[in-house]
Amino acid sequence: MRGDLPYDLWEPVIGLEIHTQLNTKSKLFSSAPNHFGDEPNTNITVVCTGQPGALPVLNKEAVKKAIQFGLAIGSEISLVSSFDRKSYFYPDSPRNFQITQYETPLIRGGIITADVGGISKTFAINRAHLEDDAGMLKHFSTFAGIDYNRAGAPLVEIVSEPCIHSAKEASAYAMAVRAILLYLDVSDGNMEEGSLRIDANISVRPKGEKGLRPRIEIKNMNSFTYLEMAIEAEVTRQIALYLKNPNRNPIELIPPGTYRWDPETKETILMRHKESADDYRYFPEPDLVPIVLTQSYLDELKASLPELPHDRFRRYVSDLGLSEYAASTLINEKALSDYFEEALKTCPHPRMLCNWITVEFAGRLKDTGKNLLNIGIPPHHLAKLVLLIEQGKITGRIAKSIADDMVASPGMDPEAIVHQNPDYQPVADVESIEPIVDEVLAANPQSIADYKAGRDKAFAFLVGQVMKQTRGKASPQVVNDLLRKKMK
Amino acid sequence: MTLKRLHHLSAIELRDLFLQGEVSAVEIATYFLKRIQKHNKDLGAFLTPLEARALLKAEALDRKRSQNKPLGKMAAIPVAIKDNMHVNGEITTCASHFLVDYKAPFDSTASRLMEEEDAILIGKTNLDEFAMGSSNENSAFFPAHNPWNLKCVPGGSSGGSAAAVAARLAPIATGSDTGGSIRQPAGFCGIVGYKPTYGRVSRYGLVAFASSLDQIGPMTTNVADAALTMEVIGRYCTHDATSLDLPQESYLLSKELEPGTVIGVPWQFLQNLKPEVLENFQEAVESMKRLGAKIVDVDLDLLKYSIAVYYILATAEASTNLARFDGIRYGLRARQAKTLEEVYELSRQKGFGQEVKKRIMLGTYVLSSGFQDAYYKKAQKVRTLILEGFEKAFSKCDTIMMPIAPSAAFERGSISDPIEMYLQDIFTVPANLAGIPAISVPSGYDRRHMPLGIQFIGPQLCDVPVLQYAYAYEQATRHAKIPPLYVEDHK
Repeated sequence: MRGDLPYDLWEPVIGLEIHTQLNTKSKLFSSAPNHFGDEPNTNITVVCTGQPGALPVLNKEAVKKAIQFGLAIGSEISLVSSFDRKSYFYPDSPRNFQITQYETPLIRGGIITADVGGISKTFAINRAHLEDDAGMLKHFSTFAGIDYNRAGAPLVEIVSEPCIHSAKEASAYAMAVRAILLYLDVSDGNMEEGSLRIDANISVRPKGEKGLRPRIEIKNMNSFTYLEMAIEAEVTRQIALYLKNPNRNPIELIPPGTYRWDPETKETILMRHKESADDYRYFPEPDLVPIVLTQSYLDELKASLPELPHDRFRRYVSDLGLSEYAASTLINEKALSDYFEEALKTCPHPRMLCNWITVEFAGRLKDTGKNLLNIGIPPHHLAKLVLLIEQGKITGRIAKSIADDMVASPGMDPEAIVHQNPDYQPVADVESIEPIVDEVLAANPQSIADYKAGRDKAFAFLVGQVMKQTRGKASPQVVNDLLRKKMK
Repeated sequence: MTLKRLHHLSAIELRDLFLQGEVSAVEIATYFLKRIQKHNKDLGAFLTPLEARALLKAEALDRKRSQNKPLGKMAAIPVAIKDNMHVNGEITTCASHFLVDYKAPFDSTASRLMEEEDAILIGKTNLDEFAMGSSNENSAFFPAHNPWNLKCVPGGSSGGSAAAVAARLAPIATGSDTGGSIRQPAGFCGIVGYKPTYGRVSRYGLVAFASSLDQIGPMTTNVADAALTMEVIGRYCTHDATSLDLPQESYLLSKELEPGTVIGVPWQFLQNLKPEVLENFQEAVESMKRLGAKIVDVDLDLLKYSIAVYYILATAEASTNLARFDGIRYGLRARQAKTLEEVYELSRQKGFGQEVKKRIMLGTYVLSSGFQDAYYKKAQKVRTLILEGFEKAFSKCDTIMMPIAPSAAFERGSISDPIEMYLQDIFTVPANLAGIPAISVPSGYDRRHMPLGIQFIGPQLCDVPVLQYAYAYEQATRHAKIPPLYVEDHK
């Protein structure tokens, strides 16, 4: 449907709000542990449950981590910023107001660079600010309970400009943001556990139209795949409505509202209309004093920033000769990229390593929910496997079998696997291969004739026959050499 | 020293008697608990006496003393705590139906500091619900009465604390002052009430009314006891982000006024004062002159806007501070509620009294979009102007003198016009808006023999000087008395 011409005449306009939990030890305004997955209501203090008389006290570590993110993307860091109360009633909100930064955010502006299908694009950030997370409602058959373990967890809300124009761009942007957070070690970026949640504001307009049409918001997408699917579906829905009703007022067709993505029906589902704008009655939080920073503190933090994903990307492409696609696949997953770096120390073949990490092993592990790291295959084992191939000690085919074994019994050294299995030990001596070659040639006179007539396929057939006899163990180079020599 | 006259003593005298071994802590605790038992029915000063806790602490103090262990600065002094401050494990009601069963899960910093200095926490005192009121008539349970005349109000919102101290049911009580809630009842009951510089005393454990204005302070029978309490509770606290990170002050007082002290009086602002109150105030100014002070006129006409500013800012903050009372986590939950909306609506409808509801609605209104610029934001600007007005005035003088209230204590039920009631705070609210220290001291009596009070207001952080002016005035005039009904010795 999206390939249809009328759709191509429309342009999606998308802005993302990414809520990311900072991986601080304690919460934003209390000393309670900031930790996911514990028994409900165990990581709480009187602040987290909004007890009367309890007061918020700002966690400096959270401020530091947020600033690091701002510095990494070239933002302006406010030397003075402050908090505001955002009022709304909901049981997961322990005080019935959230403490956020409305008037003066900590972070303004900034640029995210992301690779979109092999093309490097930049996306502008509007602002990023600190705020506290809400608790979680849990529904049971006859009642609902509230777990306040998450209440008060430090969040940074990263708000992009409406500068994103496709689902692919949106996920590339979001992945790049996540990568930066991980490289800085300010968030674990775990989308399944909700430490990274994405809201998208979406509108469409005919290409060339200047103004923005009404937008809707899709809340809480917790995977990049869903993000792309949801945007695709919503953009298609909006364009279809405009095409079907060319004369209707846009605001009637797309009334502002909040939607969610339903992975089952693959549709965006309306949660509520925003007919009257929500009145959050923002005003300065009187229990907290402004965050006042010095330039020297910012300089210090800036000087100590680690290598960032985009710097690493450039190094991979220009110094290591990886393709842009391969490089971006690697850098988007910091752990994988670190794994690659580790393997590179003992195996100077970056492209091979990258291929084995991002294609071969990724494919083998795809359905297990694991990756190279947590399944327990150390980087130097991968390095060894690639070295065995490069040194001609095993064929690519055997390497693949060895990889299967490495996945089946993680921690096994590939050299040991080869050593224990005679089938993996390649036959490279001419004496044992020559009789087989002779046998194959004797049995296929027609192929010899075809080869001599210049048909390449015949040669490949003969190689295949030899390999079949040796069950793939014969060194390809030796087989080729022997066949050519004998058919001269 | 016979046991019979313990309630005639100041807190410091009581402590010293205990330290000298003249009286035991258990005797002191028992004595005051008996007074509470005897008089509270008439006075309504206490909501919850802390009998068991007080006796346990007293026994521990006696043991400590017998073992010659070091004793704290407030050793064996019974202290009453306003019931919007937490004492760990005890009920904090805020005089609201909402929190009838709410057991405090932690200590307020101020009460903890006093307990650590060996004070005996003797009970939780009555107040206007959530500290919203100027007469104590807004207590959800029963009103507190004025010990000078039980038909009169003790003032508010710390009316229970004021009545308790004035009737000598406890030598010291804590109050919280958002717009005059310590000073006005102190004035109405003829005792001393002190509102420190904003941030001097931690608000941790004080159930917030208006966070940017609330300040805990002592209510005592005399200035020296207030100074002692400040020495204990006026400390930096890491649980309150607005707490002042300053070294602890020494509150040593002298009867002498420092030579060259200049006192400012905003005569223009006081022009509509009742003759009786004006006369009393002028007398107080004369007393300070006699002590060597120079009196200058200061222009604080701007303060006429303070009530309007206060009722915008305080209600705005209160509307969000009280949003947490929703029936979900603690406090009252309407049983008949069937939906989430009903839990909110019915619990709040049932749990809150009229005045609280009114202020929540006012606050919600002034913060709502479309009105915020006209009300909240404009009020913030005027607040800044008031702050600057005080700064300017203090460039000409060391302290400012003003009456505490437009009149002495009035009869219960006699003020029904809410604006007239709000105007009770006209002289006290400015110090809250500016975050500056102010103390209420007894200055005599009106024709009905009801106490009158004046206040000394100082620049930010000048807590010690403000207490010093009040002390010099008190020592020179000695207006404070025990109300006739409560003079008699305990049997």
